[in-house]
Amino acid sequence: MNMKKLSLIALMFVSALFFKANAQEATVNEKLTEVNDKVSGLTERLATDEADLQKLTKIKVSGYIQAQWQKTYSLASDPMNNYFSIRRARVKFTYEAADGVKFVLQPDFSPQAITLKDAYVVLNDRWTKAFSLTAGKFNRPNYEVEYSSSQREVIERSSVIRAIYPGERAIGAKLEFNPQSLPLHVQLALFNGADALQIKKADGTYLYDAKSTFVSSADENKDYDNGKDLMVRATYNIKLGNFGGLDLGAHGYFGSLKSMSTSTLTSDYKTVNNANIGDVIKRNWAGGEFQLFADILGGLSVKGEYIAGKNASVGYKPVFNADKTLATAGLPNYQNNFAGYYLYFIKNLGKKNQFAFRYDYYDPNTDIKAKDLTSAASVVGYASADKSYVKKITTGDLATTTFGLALHHYFDDNLRITLEYDIVQNEKVGAANVLTGNYTKLDGTSTGGKDASGNALPAGLDYSKNVNNNLLTLRIQAKF
Amino acid sequence: MKSLNIKKFAVIAILLGLVGFAFTPAADRITVKGSDTMVILAQKWAEVYMKSNPNAAIQVTGGGSGVGISALINGATDIANASRKMKPSEKDKLKSRYNTLGVEVACAKDGITIYLNPANKVKELTIKQLSEIFKGNIKNWKEVGGSDAEIKLYGRENSSGTYVFFQENVVKGDYAPSCQTLPGTAAVVNAVTKDPAGIGYGGAAYATGIEICKVKKDDKSAGSIPTAETIKTGEYPITRYLYMYLRNKPTGAMKSYIDWILSTEGQKLVVEMGYFPVK
Repeated sequence: MNMKKLSLIALMFVSALFFKANAQEATVNEKLTEVNDKVSGLTERLATDEADLQKLTKIKVSGYIQAQWQKTYSLASDPMNNYFSIRRARVKFTYEAADGVKFVLQPDFSPQAITLKDAYVVLNDRWTKAFSLTAGKFNRPNYEVEYSSSQREVIERSSVIRAIYPGERAIGAKLEFNPQSLPLHVQLALFNGADALQIKKADGTYLYDAKSTFVSSADENKDYDNGKDLMVRATYNIKLGNFGGLDLGAHGYFGSLKSMSTSTLTSDYKTVNNANIGDVIKRNWAGGEFQLFADILGGLSVKGEYIAGKNASVGYKPVFNADKTLATAGLPNYQNNFAGYYLYFIKNLGKKNQFAFRYDYYDPNTDIKAKDLTSAASVVGYASADKSYVKKITTGDLATTTFGLALHHYFDDNLRITLEYDIVQNEKVGAANVLTGNYTKLDGTSTGGKDASGNALPAGLDYSKNVNNNLLTLRIQAKF
Repeated sequence: MKSLNIKKFAVIAILLGLVGFAFTPAADRITVKGSDTMVILAQKWAEVYMKSNPNAAIQVTGGGSGVGISALINGATDIANASRKMKPSEKDKLKSRYNTLGVEVACAKDGITIYLNPANKVKELTIKQLSEIFKGNIKNWKEVGGSDAEIKLYGRENSSGTYVFFQENVVKGDYAPSCQTLPGTAAVVNAVTKDPAGIGYGGAAYATGIEICKVKKDDKSAGSIPTAETIKTGEYPITRYLYMYLRNKPTGAMKSYIDWILSTEGQKLVVEMGYFPVK
């Protein structure tokens, strides 16, 4: 092989390498551009996804389920005295639409139905950050009502709260003042005022408004009358240095129901006042509250509230039927003076356990002293003109005290197990069998009254003694 | 039979209550969780303290102020570090779960620093301009005296105390949706370092290898950067305390540790790590 040939081959080889390198460089450049484009595309997609994700973070979902086993120590519950149940199963959706705007929706699921517990909008004042407006269905302003069932140290609310604020929530609007510079919180709310009240007509149907159109009591989405009920609550937090803190507060309820009857009975069962259809039957009460938090022995608290006033229910006027001689008896409006209070003591036992007890008292009728009921004649009552309707003192007028003892174990932030025993005691009448609580057992047998053959049945629960209504509950709560 | 059950139950419950009176469990191991702004300082404190106290066991993790406070409420940590104050709703949760108001310990001061890329022509901004920039109303650097380039915003996640503090005290409204949220102040600094059009915010201790923007209270005042002097005199307008939150008054090992943090030795480390002492 001569030199020329060798040089030619070498030249061709170098040229090939050069072209190959150029081609490779072009390929690398192309690849780089392609990768750059892909990264840009991905960055753009990521920004879009992040923006979408940001919207989702505005939605918060929380909730809890309370499953329980209960054993009742009551003759009235015989023969079925223990059972499993789902007490609450709730999911709460909160959407923070913008800074200071919040929507809340909370349904409650039970084996029989789904009910709406909360549905409201909150608008916060963005400038002073001291005011907020809430509209929809929400908790009435009261300490125990607003304290979540998932956090409460005794598993159910006190008797007085359950009696005057049935269902806890009401439909209306609320203005709150919560200045950043002061530990003061003032709530002013207006409600329809008929929420969860059982207002019944003579024929057993329910009414809702002044047009005398009667609907199911489940239809709470409308008012019963034009008057609105006003609620005010104010609380003030006082710091007690290293000891802890004391929250003091008061609340008042100023409401009414429109009279549908021509008379009003007061809770002494003696005074009957004339009334006109459309008159205002007042429901007014006030209460004082405190919560003491003490940083001693790992943390303990004492909380209490006293509420007293006048509650009311409405009756109905006599119904005249052309084809009957006698009118259907009317039912008077009824106003009862009541009082109630509760006192909690709560103590942490390390980080995982908590002990609580509550003494809870409710007297639905402070005008009647049970010890004065010593004979059948002392059980006074009201009778309609034709004597077809009689309303007398019943066991429902007696005071009740409940001593609740609860132990909680927190497995973690989500799971709590509770063992609680409630000792329930009734106000006792002055003599045996003056007031009896008759009932029909689940097996169909009855107490009190007469059987089909006219034979007297043995009396039911005797309220001259303590009627045992104690309750043992084992509850597990899962919260998320 | 029933009355016997009641008595038994009452006796057990009262005994357990008395047991609760008798003792409060003392922490032999201290867990600290919370603010990412404070995590390097908290780790340094723990490291130095454990060297001189071999029996002490202190575990420090970040996650953000909100995460730390949640952990305090659910019992998962003994100390929550927070670069903002506890919210009333968080205090209520602590009250209902542990029946205490919590204990707040201010342990250091910080100047929220505005990070810029060194290539950026803009060197100072007013609080008002910062607010408009982070709200997304000022979109281009030329609107504040810089080059014609779209402003790229970098910030923290909403569980961060810095996010909340900056929003409440500077932005005073919603952050622009285009603000890219990053998991930690170091990540914010890193992003701005790589992006000539970037701007971010965070603790002063993280401001290394970056341009620190001078901040002016208004158009008329002079701009300043966070230094021990400008923070002490109040000249630098975006300052805050850094806190440690506890469930109860500290006792035993916890008290010794907190006392040491507030001592001259503990506060010396505050300065060393780029923060500012409380006194």
